[in-house]
Amino acid sequence: MGSKKDARGELVQGTLDMLILKTLTRGRQHGYGIAQFIKQTSDDVLRVEEGSLYPALHRLELDGLIDSEWGQSPNNRRAKYYRLTALGRKQLAKEAGNWGRLARAIAQVMGTA
Amino acid sequence: MNRFLKRLHALWRREQLDRDLQDELRFHQEMQAEEEGVSAARFGNATAIKEACRDLWAFTWLEALWQDLRNAARTLARAPGFTIVTVVALALGIGANTTIYTVVSSALAFSMGVNQIERLVFVTATDASRRDVDSDSYADYLHFRGEVKSIQSLAAYRFISVNVSDSIGLPERYSCAQITANTFKVAGTKPVLGRDFTPDDDRPGATPVLMLTYHVWQDRYGKDPAILGKTVRVDEVPRTVIGVMPPKMQFPEDADLWTPLLPDLATGRDTRAVALFGRLANGVNLPTARAEMDTIAHRLETTVPESYKGLIVDVHPFLDAIGIYDSRRLLIAVVFAVGFVLLIACADVANLLLARAAARAREISIRIAIGAGRARIIRHLLVESLLLSCIAGIFGCLVAIASLRWFDFATSRSRRPSWIDFSMNLHAFVYLAAISIGAGILFGLAPALRLAKVDVNSAVKDGGHGAAGGRRGQRLASLLVVFEMVLCIVLLTGAGITIRSSINTYNSPIGVNTSNVLTLHINLPEAKYPRAGDEVSFHRRLQSKLESLPGVEVVSPASSLPSMWAQSLPYELENGPPADPSHLPTAGRLVVGADYFRVMQVSARRGRLFADSDGISGEPAVVVNQNFAAKGWPGEDPIGKRLRLVRGGAPQPWLTVVGLVPDIQQNFRNPLERDPLIYLPYAAEPQRMVFIVARTAVPPSTLAEPFRREVQSLDEGLPVFDVQSLEDHIATSRLNVSAFGILFTIFASIALGLASVGLYAVVAHSVSQRTREIGVRMAVGGSSRDIAILVLRQAMRPIVIGLAVGLPLAAGVTFALRAALVGVAPGDPVSLAASALVLLLAGVLGCAIPARRAIRIDPVAALRCD
Repeated sequence: MGSKKDARGELVQGTLDMLILKTLTRGRQHGYGIAQFIKQTSDDVLRVEEGSLYPALHRLELDGLIDSEWGQSPNNRRAKYYRLTALGRKQLAKEAGNWGRLARAIAQVMGTA
Repeated sequence: MNRFLKRLHALWRREQLDRDLQDELRFHQEMQAEEEGVSAARFGNATAIKEACRDLWAFTWLEALWQDLRNAARTLARAPGFTIVTVVALALGIGANTTIYTVVSSALAFSMGVNQIERLVFVTATDASRRDVDSDSYADYLHFRGEVKSIQSLAAYRFISVNVSDSIGLPERYSCAQITANTFKVAGTKPVLGRDFTPDDDRPGATPVLMLTYHVWQDRYGKDPAILGKTVRVDEVPRTVIGVMPPKMQFPEDADLWTPLLPDLATGRDTRAVALFGRLANGVNLPTARAEMDTIAHRLETTVPESYKGLIVDVHPFLDAIGIYDSRRLLIAVVFAVGFVLLIACADVANLLLARAAARAREISIRIAIGAGRARIIRHLLVESLLLSCIAGIFGCLVAIASLRWFDFATSRSRRPSWIDFSMNLHAFVYLAAISIGAGILFGLAPALRLAKVDVNSAVKDGGHGAAGGRRGQRLASLLVVFEMVLCIVLLTGAGITIRSSINTYNSPIGVNTSNVLTLHINLPEAKYPRAGDEVSFHRRLQSKLESLPGVEVVSPASSLPSMWAQSLPYELENGPPADPSHLPTAGRLVVGADYFRVMQVSARRGRLFADSDGISGEPAVVVNQNFAAKGWPGEDPIGKRLRLVRGGAPQPWLTVVGLVPDIQQNFRNPLERDPLIYLPYAAEPQRMVFIVARTAVPPSTLAEPFRREVQSLDEGLPVFDVQSLEDHIATSRLNVSAFGILFTIFASIALGLASVGLYAVVAHSVSQRTREIGVRMAVGGSSRDIAILVLRQAMRPIVIGLAVGLPLAAGVTFALRAALVGVAPGDPVSLAASALVLLLAGVLGCAIPARRAIRIDPVAALRCD
């Protein structure tokens, strides 16, 4: 809503959800870790703002797609870790399928020119 | 759902949630600072993020509502006086409304489970000489049933009173409807137990059977299903129980039992004892059915002229015959009256809220100034009034439950149909909830809208004065008071006119000495007392047994009691002016024992009273009342004159007038009416259903048990009912008239009190607003009288406008009460004038205190204040 949007790293709402879910397939992670992972794996292209990240995490938690628990971070700090639920896994599979079809379709259209 | 639960969980652990959010974001910031060396400043707006996350977890509207509720409760608790006064006023209003609604709606639940009762019709046949009898003969029934097309399946019934005895308990009297076997098919209802009547049941010579109402099955047989097939003696005839009808079913009106109507019960065209009814055929309306019956009647008149001269057949809606349906307008008027009381209470509370609004203007404007939306303010204030009205609703529910218990108890002694059920049911609760919420919105909306329009700037600056107390607030308040006055005048007039009716009823003399008279009712069954002489000898024996009891002076049988109905019959006078046989005059006919007038302590004005030999030997004798004599033989001595009754078109033997007695009240519809009456000696026309009246030297109630014992010593199976003193009997019949007077008086008094308080509040508020102005007037030489007039003039304006609008309305409303009026016409000017006067007086009283306060204003202090 009020969050600033970076032209390079702007993420469509549903896409951010999908990326969060995908990140969590590698195991439990805290908010900062998720943002860092997405940034690094996308070679700094995708930058997740805290203003979008945390509301998205809480919404996913409310929807039951992810779960949370408090734990110790490697540097001995109290951190909130998120984990994928069975429901989230199913949702990810669906979204990944959709995404794949969409990406292929766009690539085909762009490739014809 | 899961999401809902999570939120609910979060709702209880708000602080935990807030702390977690805080920690989570701090962790992020620290990691950022550590790993990337970015300062916390580069972090996004933490508060906004937290807000966004928190909103996800919260039921925003629900929490706001909760907050509003808590605020409202606090506000109300801070002003306990205001809260108690409004809750009491509203609780009374809501309780009274729920009570009246429950009573009236149960009394109007006359459909008894009959399918589409509005499609049922009555068929009445009358001819030249029998115009006072609204019934038909069984022969007519068969004829009409065979011919009519527009009424599908015509049915017939007649009511009789029966004595029921069985092995279970004491014999009891019940009201029994003898019905044709198709009756319940016409009504569209089925028994809950056993079977319906079949055509085999109402053939001559059929096995006698019996159908029970649910309440008799429940009260007498304890809902025992084994009652089916058992034998019960009805008027000494053993009958097999074949079924039980559903609860509340007492078709056609207040039957306790049903037996088949056999054709041999009433043979011949001239014995008109049954009432006909049926269901309109599909697509047929009342006028069509009427026209067809008319054609059939004309055909009958030409083929059988000796029996059907001047035959008129009419078709009426069945509902017209139900007693309560008749007074439904009256009952609905009562519902409106009590509704008015609640409206006045609402207007009062609205005015109180408006007055408070002046004081709250500052609080509200501060809320607006720090960012509360107008919608939120309106909601906040509405929540407050709804909380108020819901608390009142809870107390109102208690009021309703208590008054319904009382109502139930008070009416339990009178016979009332079982479909009238005075208890809080689901409908009543829904009604209660609806009027509670409705009232809250009604009285809360106007003040809330006004306050939300507060001009923030001026309100904060001048401390709230003039904000809601401004000219528009004043006008709204005055308008509400005018509204209260209008409703009040309508209620006062209703009370006035019904009180006049009750006074007229109570002041109308019965014409007999009603004290120390015991009455009871018995019904001698035909099976046991088949001949006319049996009844006479039974009463001879009973009379001598009762008269030998200590404390009993004299005893007599009578066909009716004073203040009750007397059968009306056409008559002819000897040597009278030739009368059109189809328009004979009618008179009430009573059959009384020789000592009846001695029991009533009425002496003959002329001639003599009955002797024991009357009706047995000698010339047939008759006693008439003064009204009859004045009508029949004006200015002449009636003694020795002759008259004869006309029954079924046939003149009866001549009767000689032997005595003239004063008028006795025998019209139960209008106690002021003195009907012409004819008294016949009991031995001449013995009656099966008869009252026994006894003059006692001791309080009559002490003799009730001895009387019962004496009757049962003569006939063990004979039930005795309605044992009560004549005074009680008359009091009960008068109560029916005065009940409406009492109700209206209660409503009008509450309304008057509430309306005066409303007026007081408005005038007092305006005096306090005008303190400075009054001070100025005094300072420049205005006298106390001037000031008092100033205040009074302002107070009188709503009253005068209220009267101007309310009086014509009230006059119109009295027409709805017509059925309850005795000796007063609708629109009675005395009642209108009296209620206007009462309202003016209450108005003057209502503004006397503020006027006094205005006079005592100290000009110096007034000018200095603010």
